Amino acid sequence: MSGAAISKEKAEPNLTPLLDIVFQLITFFMLVINFANDNYDQRINLPDAGSARPVEDDSRIAQDRLVLNVDSEGRMLKGDRILGIDEAAQAIRHEADLVKLGLRTSGVKFDSAVDTLPTTIILRADKETTFGAVLGIIKACQSQGFRKFALKAMIRS
Amino acid sequence: MARKRGGLEMDAPDVPVAPMLDMAFQLLTFFVLTYRPAPVEGQFMMNLLPPQPVTAEAAAATEAAATNDLPATLRTLPVVLRADDQGRLAQINIAEFDVSDDPKALAAELDHQLLDPDAPFDQTLIKVDPNLRYSELMTIINAFTDAFIRAKKEPKLSFDELRAGDGA
Repeated sequence: MSGAAISKEKAEPNLTPLLDIVFQLITFFMLVINFANDNYDQRINLPDAGSARPVEDDSRIAQDRLVLNVDSEGRMLKGDRILGIDEAAQAIRHEADLVKLGLRTSGVKFDSAVDTLPTTIILRADKETTFGAVLGIIKACQSQGFRKFALKAMIRS
Repeated sequence: MARKRGGLEMDAPDVPVAPMLDMAFQLLTFFVLTYRPAPVEGQFMMNLLPPQPVTAEAAAATEAAATNDLPATLRTLPVVLRADDQGRLAQINIAEFDVSDDPKALAAELDHQLLDPDAPFDQTLIKVDPNLRYSELMTIINAFTDAFIRAKKEPKLSFDELRAGDGA
């Protein structure tokens, strides 16, 4: 090919391998993105505990769980709302009523005086809060029939 | 590029890949920007019963004596945690033995109590100063869980509020 007779063929780079890589990256990010983290309030700094057990079968208790976030001031966080202990107790009572209603609807006999609710309370309390504040939330749950608790912590050895 | 097949000349379809690549890059950018690694959270599972009144405990003890089982009050390792003014752990009492706030002494005393074959303890009741910070309590729960695991027992922990005059 001489310089005078310049070829007018278009350069056509092969984009297929690039597209393959990009689709693989998209697939990776789609799989690892965690849409279920809405309940995990980022304002809460969990305490560290090396012996805390990882959540093995989250899907099993996903239907029967109630996540409660307690901030450093001992207030309960529910979405954008910040609840004092009285409002928190009211919210917990409301949740317990919903669980009881669900049990009745599914034909399970429930006696508030004897039976306990199957729901697990996932308690995510800030490390700076006091035990008294956490105990207030726990007592409010116990008074409504909740007995199963999971105290959350960061797994760091 | 033209192909000759069965006497007919066919042009290979020229699919424009560039728009697809543009869209793919936009999707990739979205996922990269919104990606937040999931925090590695663990949990301590426990059944927390409300504190029973003394009369109920006495009735349970009578019932247990009739069946030659140790009553829950004798199988329960009593622990008291006290806090200082800052909410930090100031004192740990295990079965009325003061282990101060030394983690090694705590682990040694827990091993002594839980690994002893003559000791009947298979659960513990922790009375906690309401002013104690939650992080400090978790440190203790962590130590107890480790000790129960070393003793090959299922960790059974329960809590109550430390009131004035308790465990003095």
